[in-house]
Amino acid sequence: MPKRRSSLLALVLALSLIAAACGKNTGSTAASGGGGGGGASSAPGKGSTAVGFIFVGPKSDFGYNQAAYDGAKAVEKAYPDLKVLTAENVPEDDNATRVMEGMIAKGAKIIFATSYGHLDAAMKVAAAHPDVAVVQQGNFIKGTIPANAGTYFGTVYEPVYLAGIAAGKATKSNKLGYVYAFPIPQTISNINAFTLGAQSVNPKAQTLVVNTSNWCDPSKQADAAKSLLSQGVDVITQHQDCTGTITKAAEAAGAMVVGYHADASSLAPKGWLTGSEWAWADLYTDIVKTALAGSFTGSKYNANFRVGFKDGKNPFVQSKYGPSVDAATQALIAKAKTLISTTGSPFAGPVIAQDGTVLWAKGVVPAYAEIETKNTVFVKGVVGQIPKS
Amino acid sequence: MTAPTAPPASSDPPGVDDEAPIDLTDHVAPVVADEPPTPRSWKGAGRWAVAMSLAIVIFGGLMLMKGVNPVEAYRSMIQSTFSNSDAFGGIFVRATPIMLAALAVSVPARAGLINVGGEGQLIIGGVAGAGVSLAAGGSLPAPVVLLLMALGAMAAGAAWSGIAAGLRLGFGINEAVTTLLLNYVAVDVMLYLIYASWKDKNGSGQPASAPLPVGQRLALLGTSRVHIGIIIALVAAVICWLVLRRTSWGFRLSVVGGNPEAARRSGLRVNSLVLSAMLVGGALAGLGGLTQLAGAEFKLRPGFCATYGYLGFLASWLGRHRPLQVAVAALVLSAIAIGGDSLQIDSNLPGATVNILIALVLLAAFAAQRGAKESS
Repeated sequence: MPKRRSSLLALVLALSLIAAACGKNTGSTAASGGGGGGGASSAPGKGSTAVGFIFVGPKSDFGYNQAAYDGAKAVEKAYPDLKVLTAENVPEDDNATRVMEGMIAKGAKIIFATSYGHLDAAMKVAAAHPDVAVVQQGNFIKGTIPANAGTYFGTVYEPVYLAGIAAGKATKSNKLGYVYAFPIPQTISNINAFTLGAQSVNPKAQTLVVNTSNWCDPSKQADAAKSLLSQGVDVITQHQDCTGTITKAAEAAGAMVVGYHADASSLAPKGWLTGSEWAWADLYTDIVKTALAGSFTGSKYNANFRVGFKDGKNPFVQSKYGPSVDAATQALIAKAKTLISTTGSPFAGPVIAQDGTVLWAKGVVPAYAEIETKNTVFVKGVVGQIPKS
Repeated sequence: MTAPTAPPASSDPPGVDDEAPIDLTDHVAPVVADEPPTPRSWKGAGRWAVAMSLAIVIFGGLMLMKGVNPVEAYRSMIQSTFSNSDAFGGIFVRATPIMLAALAVSVPARAGLINVGGEGQLIIGGVAGAGVSLAAGGSLPAPVVLLLMALGAMAAGAAWSGIAAGLRLGFGINEAVTTLLLNYVAVDVMLYLIYASWKDKNGSGQPASAPLPVGQRLALLGTSRVHIGIIIALVAAVICWLVLRRTSWGFRLSVVGGNPEAARRSGLRVNSLVLSAMLVGGALAGLGGLTQLAGAEFKLRPGFCATYGYLGFLASWLGRHRPLQVAVAALVLSAIAIGGDSLQIDSNLPGATVNILIALVLLAAFAAQRGAKESS
């Protein structure tokens, strides 16, 4: 097939010829600037006529994206003159860059990139548009934080710890199940806090974990729930964006459910214990207010901003109780909440990793900043491994 | 099968084989000919126009039902897709891997094979590219590494489709099934690597490989956000077109695709033709994975190239497996997908709305093709 070979050669030649003549692909959107209009001198977000929100999943997912969309609607209500632009099903890849650029072209100078994996695209957009404030939900910017970027999140593990208490009290088999997406520090913190919460009232409680490598893949979720239930788990919780499938699977199997991201108690009227859900309205509105006023740079949002029970403003709040949670358990949870809102922490020492390493020694109460950085391994009582890197 | 069969469709003398090819260059099989416009093809164009208009009107009706002014929605869709340089460039960025994955369907289709494995071949191509980059490290000049990455990606894509070809030739297992199933295996291979040994230690914890060094990335065209992958894909489409139309290999493939038994009886080495068609297809998709890795994404992540292989499959059928039409189909599908940004941002329609438009356009296209077949 000499012709095929020469074709290949031609292709390779063309590749190298063109490569010699072109610009470097440095990962910032060099071409843009057509949309934003404002110069680099204007404060990021100041005087914006629109705000853009991108979501990784559907706006109605009984979970993470729905909660973020509700937050966007709250911004719309608080600022009737602002156009609120939203886009759902935006994947965590380069497509996100293009969608955000499209919003900037429509006048948005404030962008909320609401999924963990949107960070790369958000940073690319921030680098190309110094006049646009880009905030990302839940990830961490490493190194120097640009003047027009930041991340924000709640201390998710606090209400998850409280829900763990309810789970520890409720379980008969002492086996709790946790379906998660990716072993990121945020999720590992949740799994550990849930386990520690359960162990605080039930030392025999164990948490069996399964991961799905996807924020919302109902077929993998169904498999994961089935596998956990078949191992004797009688309380299931999750760190997924869409929560309906697992909640329904647990209810159908007669197991109990701890919710995450949203109140899904209507899907599990019998098995619902409690859970945690987002109330983004105040935080989103405040970020928009700060950026519109031109004071984003140097503000608390121009950083890796975390807010929790100790600040009194955790946007991640406890869901309502289900029918089987008795008054005594509710009182235990209320007491724990008071403690972690003041002098305590879900990770108050001793906290011991699976391999016996001491994460926090007895008497140590870690600050918010160090909790996610140290939670890279599971604690004792979690059954399952994080893939080794 | 001992009954005598009809002579093959071509005028080849029997006994022809791969080793001593007779000159078939001038034989253009009627099935692959791109006919000049004739009254019949004008009629075909009319049929297309009617079918597409119908799709656009139906979609407009659906938008109206959702309380959106369709004229306004179409206007903003066109305006934001074609007047915004990022969106316009985005068409080509998105179309690049889809086009190469589509060609990976078209070439085997010429030999009557159904390659549903573009998705897995794209992923494996990206994996091989990242692997070569990691292995070569800084020991070689970046352009050399990039070239090796491209070759590695093509070899890996070919190996991946080669598995399906081998299973078909060795055990008679349908390649449509095996290529589809291998897509899932490819995802798992990638996940295994990016969860473990290839995981970016400086990353955010989500499984992903480390970003490629700037020198190993595909260059951008001028000051746009479009990388040269689109040139590679278009060149590949032209080469496929030439090879399928002008070479004896291309001609033999269409003979095998038309009637494998007749091809065998006329002495064609059907097995090696089937194998080579699949290998070339896999190599094309593998190259597509490389363009996505080195041009747009720079790292492997769990959603790397997700759905692009299947969109390529659609593009190939939409373009009736004719490389140039397939390239156009890939661009059209990408343009519609990017128009979907506007349906969300400007018209506030749900994200899935654009999929309805894509489905309507595909149905219209297949209806027009079907109509063409029935009237001819």
